[in-house]
Amino acid sequence: MTPRIRVALLALAGVVLLPGAAAVITGLPPFGATIAQYGERINAITPEARHVANMVSAINFDLRGLDTLGEEFMLLAAITGTVVLLRGRRGEGNTERALRRPGRAVIPRSEAVVLVCRIAGPLTALFGLYVVVHATVTPGGGFQGGVILASGTLIIYLGEGYAGWRDAVRSHWLDGLEGGGALLFTLCGLAPMLTGAAFMQNILPLGTFRDLMSGGLMLVENLGVALAVAGGFTQLFLEFMEETREADELDEPGEESA
Amino acid sequence: MSVVSNILPYAVAVWLFGAGLYGIATSRNLIHLVGCLGVCQSATYVLLLGLGYRWGSIAPIFYDHPPGTPAVDPVMQALVLTDIVVGATLTALLLVLTIQVYKRSGSLDPEKLRPMRARQGSDRAEGSDRGHDGKRTVL
Repeated sequence: MTPRIRVALLALAGVVLLPGAAAVITGLPPFGATIAQYGERINAITPEARHVANMVSAINFDLRGLDTLGEEFMLLAAITGTVVLLRGRRGEGNTERALRRPGRAVIPRSEAVVLVCRIAGPLTALFGLYVVVHATVTPGGGFQGGVILASGTLIIYLGEGYAGWRDAVRSHWLDGLEGGGALLFTLCGLAPMLTGAAFMQNILPLGTFRDLMSGGLMLVENLGVALAVAGGFTQLFLEFMEETREADELDEPGEESA
Repeated sequence: MSVVSNILPYAVAVWLFGAGLYGIATSRNLIHLVGCLGVCQSATYVLLLGLGYRWGSIAPIFYDHPPGTPAVDPVMQALVLTDIVVGATLTALLLVLTIQVYKRSGSLDPEKLRPMRARQGSDRAEGSDRGHDGKRTVL
């Protein structure tokens, strides 16, 4: 299919679909006038029923926890796919050769950059932990906090360079974090069933409203998500970095001629 | 409120989606294509947040405000949160596929992609690597 035909088809599809889109948009309630009844009810009931202040966390980890479980495994599948596709037969032994192009000079980092990164990295990780543990009271949670934790490790990479960073970060630990987080979330769903409750029913004590320790089972699930997201995103970064390594031998014989 | 502000967020979502779709259809570079998919995806963020918004409402977090204060729809916010996380990992997966396409065909142009066939000659050389061949046809 030539590009011109493709654009013509796209334009045709646009012409067909636009009236439908226009009809839907004009049929929607005016922007900002009202919200869906479901969200309204959640806002009204959940603070009292679950003792949590953050409705988004309450939805993600309790009311629609099953959806988040599915999403968690989507995350796991995407990262597993990335790792499987990238990890060739390059050994773990030649890590110091990554990010080195033959013939290109390696400019050493200035000490100021190293110092700033050594200060900012742990601080960022601390902030990530803070965001993770305040999931039920402030706009925090495992997803946001996990990504911040992962960016803390990236700042360490900026300061220490690839070799130092790679020595500190063990790929197996990241695998363990990623899989362990997903396992923890699943166990949070299965464990209540041992007591005769429903899947992912919140059986732990709910704690006090506006307290750090509120929400019961949500706190554990939140921790699982934080582990999985932090491990997963660091793993993604590591795998893309490994891609710059020169393989000891040809990655897969004959592929260059394909 | 005027008609414009009543439908503006939805129109922006449609426009973003259309722009991303045009980019995907005309793309000559796979990395550019992944970026266009990101544009399409941001249309869903705008649409969901627009659907969940209500004038004069607070964020759905009842820490500083007592429960019962009018708040925006928390379901849409939770959806956007998961949308962003899945989108980020999916972008990574697509970029990995791009790397593999580049390794195999030496080009990032989707126009130059050819249908994949089982290679006759090099199968002997790979021997124990047959699992890779199955994966390659899926790619």
